[in-house]
Formats: sequence, structure tokens, C-alpha cells
Amino acid sequence: MSRHLAWFFFAVVLLAVSAPLQALNYEVGGCKTGSSYVNFTTISAAVVGVPAGATIQICPGVYPEQVTITQPLTLKGIGFNNANRAVITINPNGSLAPNVTSSINGLPFYAQVLVQNINPAGPVSIIGITVDGSGDNAGCSAETLAGIFYASGTSGTVNEVTARNQVNGGCGWGIWVENGAASSQTITIANSSVHNAGFDGGGIAASSVSPPTLSATVSGNCLSNAGFFGIDDSSTGVIAGNVLTSVAGPGIFAESDSLTVSANTVADISGIGIETKGANTVQSNKLSNVGDSIALFPDVAATIKSNTIKNTFCGIDFSGGSSSGTISGNTLNDSLYGFANWLGPNIMGNSLYNINNVQSASASCP
Amino acid sequence: MSRHLAWFFSVVVMLAVSAPLQALNYEVGGCKTGSGYVNFTTISAAVAGVPAGSKILVCPGAYPEQVTITQPLTLQGIASNNSNRAVIAINPTGGLATNVTSIIGQGLYAQVLVQNVNPPGPVNITGITVDGGGGNVGCSTSVGLVGIFYAAGTSGTINEVTTRNHQSSGCGNSIWAENTAGATQIIRIENSSVRNFDNWGITALSYQNTSTLTATINGNFIDPASSALAVNASGMVGSISNNVITSAGVGIGSLAFAGPITVSGNTVADVVGGIGVEVTSGTTATSNKVSNMANAFFFPDGGATVKSNTVMNATYAFDLDCFVGSTISANIVNDSQFAFQYSRSQITGNSLHNVDTIQTGSCP
Repeated sequence: MSRHLAWFFFAVVLLAVSAPLQALNYEVGGCKTGSSYVNFTTISAAVVGVPAGATIQICPGVYPEQVTITQPLTLKGIGFNNANRAVITINPNGSLAPNVTSSINGLPFYAQVLVQNINPAGPVSIIGITVDGSGDNAGCSAETLAGIFYASGTSGTVNEVTARNQVNGGCGWGIWVENGAASSQTITIANSSVHNAGFDGGGIAASSVSPPTLSATVSGNCLSNAGFFGIDDSSTGVIAGNVLTSVAGPGIFAESDSLTVSANTVADISGIGIETKGANTVQSNKLSNVGDSIALFPDVAATIKSNTIKNTFCGIDFSGGSSSGTISGNTLNDSLYGFANWLGPNIMGNSLYNINNVQSASASCP
Repeated sequence: MSRHLAWFFSVVVMLAVSAPLQALNYEVGGCKTGSGYVNFTTISAAVAGVPAGSKILVCPGAYPEQVTITQPLTLQGIASNNSNRAVIAINPTGGLATNVTSIIGQGLYAQVLVQNVNPPGPVNITGITVDGGGGNVGCSTSVGLVGIFYAAGTSGTINEVTTRNHQSSGCGNSIWAENTAGATQIIRIENSSVRNFDNWGITALSYQNTSTLTATINGNFIDPASSALAVNASGMVGSISNNVITSAGVGIGSLAFAGPITVSGNTVADVVGGIGVEVTSGTTATSNKVSNMANAFFFPDGGATVKSNTVMNATYAFDLDCFVGSTISANIVNDSQFAFQYSRSQITGNSLHNVDTIQTGSCP
């Protein structure tokens, strides 16, 4: 028996004996050693090798691999010595073939971190990891690139993650989570930095069938330099406290009718800042230097309240509707059009300053 | 007697008789008429013609004039019909001679100049647009352009104003308040849209070792045209809070003699190649969100407190420049190449995620 094999059997025995008494630590990358650690050299080996529900600590370093997670666990980047960044990158020698098909739009995806078919059921959490999409240039006709992909039927939390450079010739998303016509799922995407996503894709997508089967909380994230959408959300839930800058737009697209979009800062967008398709609540957001700050689909009963809008072409754009929900307590300063493409009666109850045209039935908004 | 002259006399008599009983309304631009209003055709005529402490309502429209205010009053833009923007613009035939010299020695062409206010009292400006287009006076230590200038010894509130297009070959400034030795003055600059300038956005300058200017800079959205300084807090005391600053060269800067300043709740993003927030001795920076830049927090000296801020996507989160005595705690850094540069000791007590190198740079 080789020494390695002996060590392996020893580890198995140790697992069997000590697991009920003491939680073992699981580690990838070799920065944590000693008898209380089980070491893996790749994240892919760890996510299949640990017991369900385990926490896997990832040492600083570069991990050129495609990771598929099929059991509940926590993936957590840790600091060691002077470094604190574990980067999952595209494997330059690996296949760039799609590994999952979206149950929402039917498109093939190449997911760098794929969460699917979780068994036993339970949440998958990803914390403090960087996912870098540089090197996948297969293009739009081949696939959509996603840094992190939670497939239909999965749940969990993405926190303090960095997703960057998911460009892929214009079809890239930083973080994509979805749920189809299955039982309802809950996913949180928080405090993450998402930048340099493709111009046909975007930063964060929370995609659901209608009526929504996904409850998503998207909060505290910083998104910049996304080609199209900052956040595209057809779930039910909350989009709060995010900072979106230099996105082509829409910055936030609220596609369902039961979302609360609040306290976000949206700036430097040539197109639409916040767009609501349904009767969502858009409240206490700050929008500046945006082409079309808040846009409603015609005649949706949305609540647009207490937002601050400055330096915009169109403040609130009704897209030609004449009935709406509640438009009140908003402050607009420095706008060519205040209430644009509005066919209804005068809108009162908002504070307007430095507005060229307060109300307009036909404005050409960006 | 012509009808106009008769009307004039009747107004004068009415003023004399009714002023103690009923406040008159003062208006510029002709959108408000009737016996309750005294009408002016220019803002300049109004600010000289109303009693001290009056409120002047300014109708929507363009006012190509240079306005000098020397008494306490309120200038307020109002809506009429479907419009709600009164724009003070550069007079294309008025010449561009400087009309004031700053305490830093630079001559400035000020579009709205507040100075020598007598009797003492606040000058307030609300809901007005000041457009510097066409006002390129060049750029040197002796020449620059400014939208609104509060000279030494003046005070007041600027609220819901728009300033735009202050470009003057690198010496274009939007809103500038200053004070020199003497009694402390109080200035509030709030909720304004300050954009497309090429030097300083909002400036609060006292240029004294002990500040004589207490400034509140709150809720403004600041977006320069080029790599300019969004907030120049050189020598003010007070607070800089809840502003949104994007695409600046430096977000919030203290160039010299900074007093105690609270910098809180600001969002500073997309500072191209520059510094997000400069924190000098006595500055307390809390709960700011700083993202997409080279240096998120830069320490030109020691003795600042930087707490509970969020930094994302920065090259350097905290650059201490080898100074000691600052407190850096409970901050969250995600997605940075370096967390701490030129720190003389290891800094703990912050949450770091996705940081390539935690400490970098050695000090002599």
C-alpha cells in the first residue's frame, strides 16, 4: 500500500469516527493544513467530496476550472498571509461548450459556477469569491456566459462576491439566478461587485416564470460597466441599496408586478434608469445623469414615491399612458421633461425645480 | 401724465401705505401680475430694488445677465404654465471681465455674485439654473469662471439649484463660498445638480488655520465634465453628506487647512484614475459607498477617522501615504487590488473580500 493510499484510508476512518463528534474543516488550495483540515486541490473536487451542508474554505489563488455544485454547501474565500482573493477563471485548456440551458429563455449557457439538481435539498451559499470570465469568447451564437448560475429549483445566498469580465462578445452576465415552474425558491444576492459584463447581457438577472416562483433579494451590490441591463428582475422580492453606474440601461428592469425597488443609486446611464413593467413599487431611489430616469409601461398601477431625480432628459416617463398608480413625493431638479409621455390629468404632489417642460404628452425620451 | 407713470406712482404710494400691513410679492419675468406683485424685467434690477429680506420670484425663461447681490434676500425660481426653469445665462454682449477676486488671489467672472451684504443677513437661492455656456474666460492664477460666488463675510442657503457648463479651459467652477479672517459664516449648499464643470464643483474655502466657514454640503448630485474636483472642502468645517458624485477626477478633496468635517452617506463612483475621498486630520468619514476608482480613501496627513464605509472595485481602498494616527475600522472592502497602501502598521478590524494584496508599499 502506498503512503498516499494509506493516508486516504486513514482520512476515511477519521471521517467516519470523528464526524459525529467534531466538524471537520474543508479547504482548497493548501493554505490551511493540519489534522483538522481535509485538503482539496481543486474546488470541483471539494464540492463533490464534502458532506452535504459543509463549508469549503478557498485559499487565495487562481482556480482555472468550471465548478458544478449539486449538493447544499457553502463556498467561502478566505484570507491568507497578505492575500484575500480566490479567483475562479476560465480554464484555457477546457471545453467552452455550454453546460446548462436556461429554463426561462431556453438559451444555452456556459456557467463558470453552476448550481443545479441539488440533492439533498438545501441552500448553496457563495461568499467572498471572485469569478472572472476573461477567456470565454465563444460568442453569442454559441452561448451566453454567466459567472454564477443558479438553475431552476435551487436556492441560497451569493454574498461579497466579485463577478467580472463576463463579456463573451456581448452575451455575458455576472450573476444569473432563475426558477421555472417548480416549487418556489429564495435567493439572496448581496454586497457583491459586478462589473464589465457584455453589452447584450448585464450584471445580475433574477429570472422567473410568471407568476413568479422566485423570491429574490438583490441588495447592497455595486454594478458598473454593464452593456445592457444592470439588474433584470422578473421575480418577486426586493432590489435595494444597490449602486449602478455606467450601465447602458435599463439600470434596473422590474419585469414582474410584485417587486420593491428602493434606495438604489443609479447614475451615468444614457438610456433608462429604472423601468417597471408591472405594478411594482419604486421608492426613495436616487437617479442622476440618466437619459430616461424612471420609465413605466403604459397604464401600469405602479407606486413611484419619494425618489430624487437630477440631471435627466425625462424624469418620469409614462410611455403614453393616462392612468397610473401613485406618483407622489418625488423631487425632480434639472430635467428637460418632468412627466413625459403622459396623457392624463396634471400630476400634483411632487417637488419640481429647473424643469423645462413640466408635463408633455409626447416627448422623445432616450 | 402717461398711464405708465401714473401706475408707477400708484405702486409707490401703495408700497408706502401697505408695506407695514401686507407683504408685497416681487417678481421677475412677467408671469405673475396683478396688484399683489411688483414686477421687474431683470434679476439685477430686482435684487437692487426690493427691500432687504424680500423674496423675489423668478419666472421661467432665460436671463442673460450678471447678477450682484448686496443685501439679504431670497431668489426663487417658480413655475408658470408648463415650464419651471429660470436660467441665468452668460450675456453674449456683456463682456467677460472679472468682477471679484477670491481669497486665493484669483480673479473670477461670477455669474451670481453675493458680496458686501448690507444689512447683514442671509442670501438664499432656490430653484434657479445658472448656465456658464459661452463664459470661457480662460484659465490662469488670475482668471477663472464661477456660477455662484459667496464672497467673504456672506452667508445663506443654496437649495435645489442647477449649475451647468462651467468650462473655462480648466478654471470653470460651479458654486464657490469662501470666508477669510473675521466672524464665522454659515453656508448651506443642498439638493443641487452640479454638472459639466472643469475645475471645482462645490467649493467651501476659508483658507485659515482655524476655519471661519461652517458649510453643510448635502444631497447634491455632482458630475463634472472632465477629471475635475467635485467637492473642494479646503478649510471649511461642517458636513458633507448624502451627495452622489460620479465621473470626477477627485470626489471629495481637502486641499489645505481642513478643519473637522463629517463626510457621511455619500456615494462616490467612477472616479477615473483618481481619488474618491481625501481625509485630512479631523475628518470623520462614515457610511460612504465608494466604487470604481484608483484610490478610494487617501490620507494626505494623519488623524482621520474612517469607519463603516463600503469600498468596491478600487485599486487601493486606503492609501495612508505613511502618515500615522488615523482610525480605520469596520469598513467593508470587496474587489480591490490592494486594501492598504503605505501603512506603517498592520490594520485590522475591517472586513475584506476579494482583495488581491492586503498590505502594500513600505514606508521609510
